[in-house]
Amino acid sequence: MIQRFISLLSIQNLARLAGAGLLGLSMAGAPALAQGNVDANAAPNDFVMAVGNNALDAIKQNAGAQRGDLAQINQIVNQFVLPYVNLEKTTRLAAGRYWRQATPEQKKALIEAFKGTLVRTYSGAFTKVDQRSTLTAQPFRGDPNAEDVVVRSLVSQSNGPTVGIDYRLEKTPQGWKIYDLNVEGIWLIQNYRNQFAQQITQNGIDGLIAALNRQAS
Amino acid sequence: MHPIMTDSHATHRSSTPRRLRLGVLAATAALAAGCASVPNPSPNDPWERYNRSMFAFNEAVDDAFLSPVAHAYQALTPQPVQTCIGNIFSNLGDAWSGLNSFLQARGHDFFNTLGRVLFNSTMGLGGCIDVASMNGSRKIHNDFGITLGVWGLKPGPYVVLPFVGSSSVRDGSATLGTLAAGVSPVTPVFQIDNVPLRNSIAGLYVVSTRAQLFDADKLVDQIALDRYSFIRDAYIQRRNAQVQSRLSSDGALPDYSDDDLPDYPDDDLPDYSDDQDVPAK
Repeated sequence: MIQRFISLLSIQNLARLAGAGLLGLSMAGAPALAQGNVDANAAPNDFVMAVGNNALDAIKQNAGAQRGDLAQINQIVNQFVLPYVNLEKTTRLAAGRYWRQATPEQKKALIEAFKGTLVRTYSGAFTKVDQRSTLTAQPFRGDPNAEDVVVRSLVSQSNGPTVGIDYRLEKTPQGWKIYDLNVEGIWLIQNYRNQFAQQITQNGIDGLIAALNRQAS
Repeated sequence: MHPIMTDSHATHRSSTPRRLRLGVLAATAALAAGCASVPNPSPNDPWERYNRSMFAFNEAVDDAFLSPVAHAYQALTPQPVQTCIGNIFSNLGDAWSGLNSFLQARGHDFFNTLGRVLFNSTMGLGGCIDVASMNGSRKIHNDFGITLGVWGLKPGPYVVLPFVGSSSVRDGSATLGTLAAGVSPVTPVFQIDNVPLRNSIAGLYVVSTRAQLFDADKLVDQIALDRYSFIRDAYIQRRNAQVQSRLSSDGALPDYSDDDLPDYPDDDLPDYSDDQDVPAK
């Protein structure tokens, strides 16, 4: 009995990662319905807040996405999230040194497969959004002129704890692009590096792509 | 030699009957234990072989006993009651967090958490309603493992404890040590003399906490390639971030360098700053 206590205490950390963390992922994307415009060349905090708030509004207005309708979520992600995300970089960094072993076709397939994983992550997050969910920026620390910056934010929910979400973005010729995300201390790319490496060493890059796609079914 | 349990897990979890699943997991555990090497050793996890076996054991115990009870609790208890029970235990946990903030000499966190506990215990009817959060006070989680980290102890290897789950040498010692010493978040429960009542509350705590984790659990199943690695890496990252945030964000001179960004080392190409193109080989 004693042990079970502690077990739960430690799992609780994980809960926060996933249960609430999903929200963060959803905030990361889904910008600009007909709402505020996103200026990809604005200050990092302003850019992320514009993207995030538009995303939040879009989710609030889409009951299907909140119920976990994958088609709806896919549409939101494609239309409103991906323009501000550098998914190629996310996937490349997650694959690490194995990226260079991949053929162009494999790279394309891998990005697509990993996108599927991220969309499934959103689907969990969207169910947590309600009308009282809000997103607030924390003061920007760092050099706003840098090419690679971190924006910190808090997501408040009426049905769960407030969650800290950080976004890592880089400056590109098209403006800021988000490529990594931190939920309560856990970076997305970092958390997939070992799993990617493990799959690739065992089953090759095609094996990794297959494993990612298998989860979708 | 190493079709370690990457796939077997995810697929068996959902479809196979429970008893069979238990057997499969036991077999997988034995397989992992008998395997001479792990496919992708991680420097933080030198005991991966043992850890994977214990992880499989914990999952089997959870599937067989804990989850069914927690599911029943969730089905039978009205949502407001579940929230109330969860909040009461959370309020107890806050008291423990506050004490650790004190030990870490984080006065601001300490007084904030103290305020939360006082407010929730009174206006929140013994913690049942989290009025502090409703009024904008953010819960500041803290425990003795973090305190030891702040005091300079390294986490040591990752270890999966029986029934307990993810831990490290430092965090596991902290948890077991404080429990043995009689100062821990669950101590008030153990002070109850009425044994059936005490055990009921303890059981309720476990079940209520487990029930709160179903969403997280389901998500991990959906997005993790390998549950074990996913949970391990998340645990290590999060614990590290919890300690780092206390070391670098206080004081008059916050560290503005990006020390809390993960480093993505590459054997051949350590610098990712030129991200537009990677030289083709």
